[in-house]
Amino acid sequence: MAAESPTSDRKVVVHLRATGDAPILKQAKFKISGNDKFSKVIEFLRRQLHRDTLFVYVNSAFSPNPDELVIDLYNNFGFDGKLVVNYASSMAWG
Amino acid sequence: MELCSEEAVKYVWEGAIPLQIHLHESEVTTLPPPPPILVLGSRIGYLPLLVPLIKPHFSSTLPPGTDSVWFDYKGLPLKWYIPIGVLFDLLCAEPERPWNLTVHFRGHPGDVLTPCEGEDSVKWSYINSLKEAAYIINGNCKNIMNMSQADQFELWQSLVKGNMDDFLRISSRLKLGPLGEDCMVRSGSSLVQPRQAIGEPDFTGSGRPCRIPVRLYVRNISEDLDDLEDAVPIDCWDRISYINRPVEIHKEEGRLSLKCAMKTLLPEIFLEESLVNNHEFSREGETVGADSSYGDSETIGGLRNAQAEEIPFPGQAHVQLLKKSKIKMIRIQGIELDMDIPFFWVVNNLKNPEYFLHICVFMGTSSDQSTIR
Repeated sequence: MAAESPTSDRKVVVHLRATGDAPILKQAKFKISGNDKFSKVIEFLRRQLHRDTLFVYVNSAFSPNPDELVIDLYNNFGFDGKLVVNYASSMAWG
Repeated sequence: MELCSEEAVKYVWEGAIPLQIHLHESEVTTLPPPPPILVLGSRIGYLPLLVPLIKPHFSSTLPPGTDSVWFDYKGLPLKWYIPIGVLFDLLCAEPERPWNLTVHFRGHPGDVLTPCEGEDSVKWSYINSLKEAAYIINGNCKNIMNMSQADQFELWQSLVKGNMDDFLRISSRLKLGPLGEDCMVRSGSSLVQPRQAIGEPDFTGSGRPCRIPVRLYVRNISEDLDDLEDAVPIDCWDRISYINRPVEIHKEEGRLSLKCAMKTLLPEIFLEESLVNNHEFSREGETVGADSSYGDSETIGGLRNAQAEEIPFPGQAHVQLLKKSKIKMIRIQGIELDMDIPFFWVVNNLKNPEYFLHICVFMGTSSDQSTIR
């Protein structure tokens, strides 16, 4: 199975949720390629919120390492057809 | 076979890579240049934790500026949140001792590497990996979240200091293992050994599948490579597939081997094999799945293959995993493991202290493919 096959580029719906005093985004849900790394989600949030320091979590539980693929996170921790990503401007869940 | 071998765990905790660390030439401001420093890097440790040992050795020669320390191996910036032993197993196809690394105190490559702000960054990364593992095992990470600050501090210190006894004492309260001989975290099976019966109440009698946190690193090497020393060095992280996929074991599947576990992790690699088997069986008019050579793996093999059609291999485009690829070598904690070894033993004894099993896989691809960039 070649990684280039069109089916391998599965899109994942990411649901962004603000935590604490972090600003709420106008568009909370967006689609991202499953082959993208989690760092892409972090970068997107940093750009949108104009913040260098941002704490980004999955399921209000843990912060994945930036190299993890979105598809892996979705398969392991997603539910109801989406991956829930929480962001905070200060450390929320340690 | 023993559930947990204290001896094996001790070997893992005491495992260390002799490192010879050079200061990058661009940061040498004195003559003669400082000699490299030799340090032992704990397999389960992280590179930034060595900085307090390394810094004094080079501090007098550094150019002015503020420190942002990073390491490289043959020009490849090393990810600081990957345990040292995993970096070594993955990047040194032929183990090199001492392992020659270059340290940089300036010019952090922000585009390819998340900056590390010292020990706190490493601790944060460790605790989050631990939470991620707990989430995979239990479906939540309450046990880690509810840890007292004192326990969390002690757990981290045990890792920094390499104190296995302290680590085992505190981590036993997290209820994340060990895995039974039937590959269940805890089950009502008659095979349950007394040691296993202690403290895993959450899973008693439950029929839910058991999930083992695994981080896989897949690297391609030439199929006809005779000498690992000749493997082309990794010049870019995109050449390695980083896969986070738990091994899911259903109760009825019982005891399984490392090979079966690898089949569930990389069904693409075993797909061809199972197709061949299926073909043979359909010709003989028998039910697919009765192949005895598959043994206890048949259920998972079949299951995961079906799933694989739905969720294709998520590797980066740079790493080709073609049907022709074959697993050439599997390394866990520096050991090239026999594929028939029981998986529960591998997990219980060779996992890292954040409860992830890190598996380095070397795929053999035919030489024309491996040169594709």
